[in-house]
Amino acid sequence: MRLRHCTISLLIVLICLAFARTTSAQALDISSGGQPTITGAVGGSVIGSALVTDDLVVTINFGEVSPLNTNSIVKVTVPFALRSNQPYQVSVSMSGLTNANAQALQASDIGFGIQNPRLLGGAGKICTQSTHIVRSPFNNDPAITAAVGTNGRVSYQSSLANLSGSTIILSGPELSKNNSIKRQQSDGWVFDAIFTLTPQFFAAGVSSVTLTFSISAGPNAPC
Amino acid sequence: MPRKILFKSILLTTLVIVAAVTCLGQSTTGTVSMSATVSKFVEINSGGAVTLAGNSGGGVTTDGVANSPLAVAINLGELGPSNTNSFVTASVPLKIRSNAAYVLSMTATVTSSGTSSSRIGAADIGFGLGTISRSGVGVNTGGSDTNATSGDPTLAANGSVNGTTGRYEFTAVRSNLSAFSSATIALSGPIIMNAVPRSNANGLTVPALFAVKPQFFENGTSTISVTFTVTAP
Repeated sequence: MRLRHCTISLLIVLICLAFARTTSAQALDISSGGQPTITGAVGGSVIGSALVTDDLVVTINFGEVSPLNTNSIVKVTVPFALRSNQPYQVSVSMSGLTNANAQALQASDIGFGIQNPRLLGGAGKICTQSTHIVRSPFNNDPAITAAVGTNGRVSYQSSLANLSGSTIILSGPELSKNNSIKRQQSDGWVFDAIFTLTPQFFAAGVSSVTLTFSISAGPNAPC
Repeated sequence: MPRKILFKSILLTTLVIVAAVTCLGQSTTGTVSMSATVSKFVEINSGGAVTLAGNSGGGVTTDGVANSPLAVAINLGELGPSNTNSFVTASVPLKIRSNAAYVLSMTATVTSSGTSSSRIGAADIGFGLGTISRSGVGVNTGGSDTNATSGDPTLAANGSVNGTTGRYEFTAVRSNLSAFSSATIALSGPIIMNAVPRSNANGLTVPALFAVKPQFFENGTSTISVTFTVTAP
């Protein structure tokens, strides 16, 4: 009788494990894609994990962005890794940065683009039927597309001002060959999120903003 | 007894599921937090070339170069009666830029080799700030600037011959360098620049006007040194 109960319990456990594994096989994952970098900063920094198995948690301090910073631009590159075995999409939402003074730092003053898609090791999946699409207007390096507008202020092809609610910035076919239940070192794709800020005569003050990157099931994209 | 086993089985199953989910180590969200600092910034540079007029001899030794650090040297030439012009004047263009309200202060020293009261002194050097201009792309044209000087020192309203001593005097408020023996505000105003890069060369320009009335000063040489300082209080 005891043996019977044990057997039933074991079966239940196995079924549950299988269920969990099945669920994970459909999982979508976003993580760090490597060490973030910063250039052109005065008193700035970027903190994030270099391990692709760690969560994507990055803190950027652009530092001084008044004319006291004589560099032409502050550029931060944040690699992020994506894993999925189904079509995916990545959206970004923004909170903070509500300066009432138009001459203070605004969302449009922070350039934002997605560049440099690449395989995360040998188990990243290469699909021939669909490609990874960086949604317009984010497919650019804002350090390159930065330009002075007619009002003398620097603008970018895409910036944080292009984020409205939860904005889809990227989508594509499945990313991973493996169906591992754990993050692997080499089972997806890496993209660079590039942020730029040009030092200008902004009204004095300290500004902050938080972006949340989310991955979810995306539109049909055959592999 | 069977109920007990069943209960344990459910517990174990729950534990396994929780463990399995935990072991997934996956996440569908990530965060990027950003911050930036904008400190108050002010600067003063040359607004361009110096204009010297009414001089006899002398000349601009080191001229101003627009948008370069202000470091001008002028030889006013002969200031005795042999110079028959009514005034020797020098106009030194200044360019000020800021991302905050600004204050322009000035300190002046005048030294002469003469020993009598007829030597050239700070009161003999007329001074004033001319027309203030806020123009060009990226310059904030809102608000108004306060000129604490009386403007062009050669204006009749700003000076005249003293009826008693016969000496020409710059009499208006802060119209000569004796008013600037210590740091004294000459100009102030609101934020000058909109949010534009430092490479934008525009700003607030104002000429610093100096004037000397050639007179029977005690002979000798004089040195006039003026320092402009801009701050964002």
